[in-house]
Amino acid sequence: MARTPCSLQALGQVNALGKSNAEIAPRLLAGDTSGLTLRDDLVPERSLLFGAVRDPLPEIPARLARFDCRNNRLALAALEQIGAEVDGAFSRFGRARIGIVVGTSTSGVSDAEEAIAVRERTGRLAREFDYAQLEFGGLAGFLAEMTGARGPAYTLSTACSSGNRALASARSLVALGLCDAVISGAADSLCGLTANGFASLGALSERITNPCSRNRDGLTLGEGAALFLVTRDPGGIQLLGVGESSEAHHISAPDPEGNGAETAMRGALADAGLAPADIAYLNLHGTGTPQNDPMECAAVSRVFGNALPCSSTKALIGHALGAAGAIEAAFCWLVLAGQTGDVLPLPPHVFDGERDPELAPIRLVTKGESAHVGARTRVLTNSFGFGGNNCALVLGRDRDS
Amino acid sequence: MKVSLTRWAAWAPGIETEDAWRAWAKSPVPLAAEGVPDAKFLPAMLRRRCTPLTRTMLSAAWGCLDAEELPRLRTVFASRHGSINESIGLLEAVVRKEKLSPAIFSHTVHNAQAGLFSIAAGNRAASSSLSAQEDTWASAWIDALAFLERDPSAPVLVVIGDVPLAETFAPLVEEAAVPYAFACRLASAGDGPGIELELGESDTPLQRPPWPHALEFLRWWLSDEPALEQGARTTRYRFRRS
Repeated sequence: MARTPCSLQALGQVNALGKSNAEIAPRLLAGDTSGLTLRDDLVPERSLLFGAVRDPLPEIPARLARFDCRNNRLALAALEQIGAEVDGAFSRFGRARIGIVVGTSTSGVSDAEEAIAVRERTGRLAREFDYAQLEFGGLAGFLAEMTGARGPAYTLSTACSSGNRALASARSLVALGLCDAVISGAADSLCGLTANGFASLGALSERITNPCSRNRDGLTLGEGAALFLVTRDPGGIQLLGVGESSEAHHISAPDPEGNGAETAMRGALADAGLAPADIAYLNLHGTGTPQNDPMECAAVSRVFGNALPCSSTKALIGHALGAAGAIEAAFCWLVLAGQTGDVLPLPPHVFDGERDPELAPIRLVTKGESAHVGARTRVLTNSFGFGGNNCALVLGRDRDS
Repeated sequence: MKVSLTRWAAWAPGIETEDAWRAWAKSPVPLAAEGVPDAKFLPAMLRRRCTPLTRTMLSAAWGCLDAEELPRLRTVFASRHGSINESIGLLEAVVRKEKLSPAIFSHTVHNAQAGLFSIAAGNRAASSSLSAQEDTWASAWIDALAFLERDPSAPVLVVIGDVPLAETFAPLVEEAAVPYAFACRLASAGDGPGIELELGESDTPLQRPPWPHALEFLRWWLSDEPALEQGARTTRYRFRRS
């Protein structure tokens, strides 16, 4: 039986590269790292690069003040970009048929930090703080109230694979007919908790993150949001495959063999009914940590060989953790949307060029490189999270649709 | 999609066996506010790393599945608050510019319980972890349906649980604040008897039960009432035997 179509109809996104698809796409393809900024206010006594969103963010309406936190403002910035398409879905299907499935790993932690800082000074939490800003479910609750959607609304939080998982579930909800449209994606915001948490693990890079380099020394953290309107419509850019696995290995380190990563990629291919050779581009998880890159390159090499163009886009916007999967799916969407004729422009793999000879020799996209594709273009994106939670997605577009 | 609920287990302080839950369901009373299961099935090394919530949720999981299915089934873990109690100390450390404990930080991801389950059970199947304010239970059910949509041939283990929020945030949240967990094994029912979930909408939220929504579902499942409605916001979830 053919799978129900899953259209990624509209996309809004915000990250260190900009606040619209039009702004972000050329910078993505140029490998522009100028969006990263040095910050000394997040980790004591360290000045580190972060992929902070510097554009002003929209304000949360007063009626939803209890949801007013940076994470929800990022989500709102993405939502506003697809306002017309979302309105269209409401008129077409009705509010009860619209669901919200989103991912986050931080929720409004930075606002909770402020609230606790106020408590340290005054003995009471900041008056404007509400628990809805901090609880993970608050992101979905906010988007439901903001849009008036009355279908299911929940937040998936599986660390760095949250965004992929949200899209996977959204596809299932429209396929089951539980919803006719789902607003799906993720938001994550920079905060002291994740910055200092990853610092405590020795996982933050002293310079810009340097995936697949022999000099790599960790993550650059980022933030942002990407939201899609997901429907059962055929055509356009489709979510074609989902592959998932758990590692049963370690809470904060991947299986060094990359078996979980391999299972996720092979699962996504099988789900989409594709062979490895059908994939034109792979967006790596590519965090630049000592542990991620060897296992991911080994797994990619086993599944695809060493000819598939791959890149990590983490040096452009940082690792947006719970939003990374949705943002990288958004980057794949931009790649597919940018195809002209049989030419598929690819985001370059940005690093210092000193390839770690210990890594499996996968092909990294160089600046200005394109792929030549046939009538059907298929791309894959990986995300691997703490707790050993892996999810790979296949997106695609047919030229005649 | 109609699903069959073939096995379940639950834990709350003093109500740990199937018979005890059946007795509770006949004449339910508010649950005790304190208690942690001993979770003896976990290796001592791992048990020491488990928070009260992890012990509680894993106790329900182990009670629900046999040793053959524990390492095999896909899982949905759901918790409204997750590891927020453990995050509070980290947030205070951030505010005071103190060093964070990497071990505690790693275990405060919302999927910590799912990750530790995967390690303890040797389970490499797909797993999701979610939260949805007061509709967390119905959302867990829906995400299990999503797994069954992706592959209807294998059942899914759903595990939901919470422990009371610590004093920092507890005054901000109105809820039945008790430690509990509920686990159930859901399979695609085909044409057989099962449970259907119907979605609706409403302007007025339903009154909150005096215990967690998942345990209200269990009470209903053990009763002979035909349907159960839940919904703390504008979405209405109607569970119906069919």
